[in-house]
This record gives sequence, structure tokens and C-alpha cells, in this order.
Amino acid sequence: MEEFKPPPLPSPFNNTTPPPALLTQGAEAHLYKTISLNPSIPAALKVRPSKPYRHPILDRRLTRQRITSEARCLAKLIREGVSVPAVLALDWEGHGGTEGGWGGAWLMMEWIDGPVVRVVLEQWEAWMKQNQGSLDSSQIENEEARVRGLLRKMGSAIGVLHKAGVVHGDLTTSNLMLRPSAGASDAVDGTGSPSMEGDVVLIDFGLASQSNQDEDRAVDLYVLERAIGSTHPRSEPMFGELIMGYRDSYKGAVSALKRLEDVRMRGRKRSMLG
Amino acid sequence: MIAIGMEGSANKLGIGIMLHPKDGSPPQVLANIRHTYVSPPGEGFLPKDTARHHRSWVVKLVKQALKEAKVTVDDVDCICFTKGPGMGAPLQSVVIAARMLSLLWGKELVGVNHCVGHIEMGRLITGATNPVVLYVSGGNTQVIAYSSQRYRIFGETLDMAVGNCLDRFARTLHISNDPAPGYNIEQLAKQGKQLVDLPYVVKGMDCSFSGILAAIDGLAKQWGLGGEEKAREDEQKTADSTTAADESLESKPTRADLCFSLQETVFSMLVEITERAMAHVGSKQVLIVGGVGSNERLQEMMGIMARDRGGSVYATDERFCIDNGIMIAQAGMLAYGTGFRTPLSESTCTQRFRTDEVFVKWRD
Amino acid sequence: MASSLETISLSHLPLMPVHVALYRNIQNAAFLKGQLLAGDTEFEYAFIDASMVLSRAHATAAVFRAVNDYMHNRLKSRNVHSEIVFSLNPTNNIAESFRRFGITDSTKDLLVVKVSVSPEITHESVAAHLESSVQGTPVLFDDQTLSEISDINKIKKAYKLGALPSPTAKENDEAKQRLENSLLSAIALRGS
Repeated sequence: MEEFKPPPLPSPFNNTTPPPALLTQGAEAHLYKTISLNPSIPAALKVRPSKPYRHPILDRRLTRQRITSEARCLAKLIREGVSVPAVLALDWEGHGGTEGGWGGAWLMMEWIDGPVVRVVLEQWEAWMKQNQGSLDSSQIENEEARVRGLLRKMGSAIGVLHKAGVVHGDLTTSNLMLRPSAGASDAVDGTGSPSMEGDVVLIDFGLASQSNQDEDRAVDLYVLERAIGSTHPRSEPMFGELIMGYRDSYKGAVSALKRLEDVRMRGRKRSMLG
Repeated sequence: MIAIGMEGSANKLGIGIMLHPKDGSPPQVLANIRHTYVSPPGEGFLPKDTARHHRSWVVKLVKQALKEAKVTVDDVDCICFTKGPGMGAPLQSVVIAARMLSLLWGKELVGVNHCVGHIEMGRLITGATNPVVLYVSGGNTQVIAYSSQRYRIFGETLDMAVGNCLDRFARTLHISNDPAPGYNIEQLAKQGKQLVDLPYVVKGMDCSFSGILAAIDGLAKQWGLGGEEKAREDEQKTADSTTAADESLESKPTRADLCFSLQETVFSMLVEITERAMAHVGSKQVLIVGGVGSNERLQEMMGIMARDRGGSVYATDERFCIDNGIMIAQAGMLAYGTGFRTPLSESTCTQRFRTDEVFVKWRD
Repeated sequence: MASSLETISLSHLPLMPVHVALYRNIQNAAFLKGQLLAGDTEFEYAFIDASMVLSRAHATAAVFRAVNDYMHNRLKSRNVHSEIVFSLNPTNNIAESFRRFGITDSTKDLLVVKVSVSPEITHESVAAHLESSVQGTPVLFDDQTLSEISDINKIKKAYKLGALPSPTAKENDEAKQRLENSLLSAIALRGS
């Protein structure tokens, strides 16, 4: 098979020293680590390349819409004091025209330290599987309590987000980060089970929108519930803890959670026709 | 081992006969025949009529399949049938036929999930080992990936299936249902040039089509492009279809433009959610199954996406993509091999049967 | 003190060195503004009322936006220097941006920015010209100095951020970080 090569960086980042380092190729964006305007502070650079599979008009429309809507949501959340990365710079216009030009867009953001929750839960599940035999019931309980604590923090972070009038649109455990508190040591418990200390920071607002609708909020939670069910089977039974963290985080949570029941029912019912 | 597969969850009745050689060599398709109930233009297929179609053809098709496969009843090990999901009446007519054969011949029954049938057939034909599966048909729109003995649904439609959206727009335009409405939309779309603005609704790995259908139906109405008469004009025009080729943008859209725009929009959504799932599970293979999967534009778009991710797309042709009996035989035989049986008392069918309900014992 | 002119190589824009000087107690604001209005190319600078600048990051964000737009032929105003002043503004109104952020007759503290858009513009040439034309006290362009100059309420008003808590003198102040981040996103998003 042909070796995969990431697309070239858009201007002006083709002049950056050191060159931005590609971290992940997400579904529709490449994430790089680079420097902010202050070279001693790192930054995250999200590049949305043009998608050649799409019709060029649709492609430009979606790329532009998504990057500006993402930046607008972040800007709003920053003003509201929600834990999200700051917007440092943005380019939604591309350059060089439609023929042979660059039809992508980019967004430079504050760099957030720490692992994504997905990795934390995966490590934890793997660790539990490995050590199941040697743990007594109180140790298992203690481990599960730590995960419940993390899920509660996640729920609360999502509540604060919704309270600010934004829905994420793509909540998965890959879009929640765990930023270690300043000055925290790495070896929290020394057992090899991953740390769950720190602040939950929400990232990747590529599908976010501004909304105060219960329906949108409930769909946010439902999407996350399903994502956890499909990627972290062992943590799934503790999803209720996330719901509790969410419920306690703002006043409108109760009605959004009520709506979640409906969304779940609909989800099961839409099991379709052949 | 030899299995008969019987499928009739929608308007196709399919009978397939599959051989899994004892020496472990690759499975062989001995017969794969299908008969489709085609409704008149402007109409969908109704459960009652479809069931009647299946009842009147099933015996004929089973006989023909056995003949083509050059096997006798004695060679057959089990009878696999679609348990669901699907339309109630057509499912019932096939399950009754399966039960009858089981009692008549003294063969064991294996109830199969229709979606799992598509996935297993796709894997077999294409050789894709662990792909992200896009299952797109008249009744289903799901993005599926395998994990811990389940085909897990990562994303799906929040309302109607993509195939249903296309079929219903075909009805608006009075496009023929023969051989399939989606196929005729695809042909018309090839002449489309300008892209009209349609809603684009993706939420996470889920998507929604009802708003798009409403919007494009509205456009068809606004520009007077729906209905029987326009369909007839289309047929007359096909000879000189190139005349509209260099229309400037923002001109009045044609029927072809609408089909083109609808396809471009909904397929972009499908490719997007598939790519999302691939990124999520870290897979580089995509397998497209289901009737809409035979659309070449969808395959092309998916291919570009997969290439840009350093991966590849696997698709099957209409023999295996569109509902068929052999896929039921294949999935049924995999389950049968692990000891799975469906006792007569449980040989029911169900309109609702989620892909992730099936315990996939035959995979690690 | 010979010169307080700082030459910054902005991250990602190494080919466009940026020369920045900060002055207090400007004596000839009216003269400088006059030269600017007269279109004297010698005086093609971004003359920014420093009381409208919260921090170094705030100013460099506007410079970055303007220079990046300049490089991609997307200027909305006359030149890259007017664009820097315009880039500080959260809306698309150019005249308003000059009223709010540009030099006025009563400007006391002045931030001067010059971009090396051509090879003749060097640290030395800019330093010499500024020394001969700006009457004021050169000071260090850093957050410490700016914190003594910035008019937080005016800045918040210009960016419609009145509801945000006001920064205090503390170091690592969360309110200041939040205000600064809010300004940066407004600059990045202008016109979107």
C-alpha cells in the first residue's frame, strides 16, 4: 500500500520554526502542536483541509461554517468562563482562489495539557482486566469510585457548557480532556492505575452550536452515552454518575434529563425496517 | 456444510445456497437468486402486496435455487431465514415458508439478523477483515464497527433511512421503480450540474434526512419539477440530454440538478459519519453494504475519503449489496457452526431487531 | 537609553519582522496624527492609543491578524499599518476602529508598530525615525508596563465585555486571563 502522507501545512505555518508536529488526523481536521505568538507557549493548531470527496461548493460552505461556528462557540464559552481552549487566531477564507488555491481553514488554540478521557478510561479498563484477580473487593470498590468521580466531573463540565448556551454536538470521550491541576504530581496512587485528578476541559467544538433547547442538550448526552457504551463497556454501568454530576450543575438540567429519556426511547425504537 | 438462506424483509425475495467446505477452504456460493416486487412509479411498495408477492414466488425460487446449486434436499444442513428487522408482513411470509421447509425436510432452522447478514456477506466477498461498516438501504442507515463480540452501532439516522429518502424523492419526481428508484435517481443525477443548497444535518456520528427530503420536495414543487408529466418529458429528453450542460449557475434547477444535489448532500453526510467512526476506532477499512451501497457515486466518494486516510473502501456489486438470500445463508452458517439453532417454537420474526443485539460468537 | 525599539520575529511570520515601541507622556500626539492623516509615507505606522491595549498578547494578536491578512491579499484598509489598528476592533467599522484604538490629539501613551514589508525598513531605520519624530518617554513593551497604562473599562466597553469581572493587580489573575482570551477571540473572529 502507498505510504500515507499528511497534506502540506497551509500558509503561514509552512514558515514556522520548528515545524508544527502532526498529532492526530481526526475525521475532518488535522491537529498539530505548534507555538503560540509567544514562542515559549505551545499552541494547538487545527487545520481543516478541503475534503476532495465533496462537491467544492458544499465543501467550502461546510469548512467555513464549521470553523467559524467552532470559534464562535469557543469565544462565547471563554467569555462565560467555561473550561475550553482559548482562540488565538483563525482563518476561514482559505487563499489562492477556488482553482488550485487552498480551500481549507485553520484555528489556532490554547494548548491544553493532559490526556483525553478516552485514554484514561482505556488505561483503567485494561489495568482492571489485568489486575482483577489480585484485587480484593474494597480495592475494586475504590477503583470504581475513582471512575465514578471522573464521570461526575465530566457530567458537571457538560452541565456548565449547556448552561452557557452551547451544545457540543459530538461528545465522545476523545473530546473531553483531563488537565492535571497545577503542581499536581503524576504518581497519584502509585498503583499503576491512571490518575483521574484534574479539571475536565472540553475540546473539539467542530460540531457545536449555540442552543438552549432541551432536545439538543439531551442528544448531546445521548451521543456521549452511546460513545461510552461502545468504547468503554466496563465504565458504561457507571454512566448514571455522569448524569448525577450533570443534574447538580445547573437549573435547566432536570428538564434536559427528562428529555434524554425520550431521546433514548426514540433511539431504541428507530431499530428500523429491513 | 450446506445452508439455504431465505430473505424477504422488504420488496426483494432472495434464496441463496451456500457451501462451507469441511476442509476449511473458502465458502462457495452455489446459488443466489432473487425476485423483486416492483411498484408503479410514484408509489412505494405496500406490506400487503409485497407479502403476497413473496408467498407466490417462494416455492418457485427455492426449487430453482436447488436446481442451480445442483444439490438435493438431503445435502442441506440447515435453513437460515431473516428474523428481522424489516416489514412485518413480508418477513412473516418468508418465515412461514422456512418453517414449512424445516418440518417437511426435517432440517434445523437458524434465524438471522438481516443487518448481520449484510455485514458477513460483505466481509466474505471483499476480504475486509475488520472494517467500519456503512450499512445503507431503504430501511437502514448505520455506521457499525465490531467490538467484543458485537457489531456496535456508532452512528445511525435519527429519522428516516437514506434509501427511503432517495426512494421517496423518486416518487415525487415519478421516477420508475424498475429496477430500483435509487438506481434511476443515480442515472438522472449523472446529468446534474448545479448544486442547490440543501440542509446538511450531521450530529456526532448520527445524521438526519427528513429535513433534506422536505427541502428538496419543496424545491421540486417550487420549480414545478414533480409529477408524472415531467417524468415523461425526461424520457423524451434523454436523447439530447447534453443541451443543459453549460447552464450558468443560479438558473432554474433541472430534475437532474435536484437528484445530483440530493445525492451530493446525503452522500457527503454518509462519508462524513463513516470517516468519523474510522477515526474513532482507528480503522482504515470501510465496507459499504445495503442497497444504496451499489451507488457508484457513493462508492467513489467513499474511496476518495478512504484514500486520503491511507485506507481503502470495500464494496460489493448488486448481487450481494442488494438484499439477497446468500447473505442470510452465510451469516446463518457462521452461527450454526458455533452451535446456534432456532427451535421451531422460537422461529418468529420481528420488525425491530437491532444489529447490536446479536451475540457474534464466531468472531474473536 | 538609546532606543526602546523592540524588533519581534512573530511566530509563523518570520519573514516579516515587526518593530514595536511603547511611549509614555507623549508631547506631540497632534503632530503625529496630523502626519498620519496627511498620508505622509514617512509616517506610515500603526499609532495605537496604548490605554486601549491590555497586554502584549493583545497587541501581537492584532499584528498577527493584520500581517497574515496582508500576506494573503485580504486587507480591508489602506495598508498593513492601518490594518493593525483596524484589527484591534471587534467589528468591521474602520472609522470606528481609528476613533477607538488609534492615536488622538489627547493620546498620552502610545504604542507604535511598524512591519518590515520591504527590505529598507530595518530596526535601525525605524529607530532613527522614531527618535527624531516621537516626543515621549520610551518604556518597555511588556505586560507590567501595559498594566499601568491600560484603561480596563474602556477596553471592556469597546469589546462589549462589560459583564466580565475586572482584572486585579495580582499575578496570574484569572480575570485578566479571561479578559485577554476574550479579546483574542474577538480579534480572530472579526468579520466571520
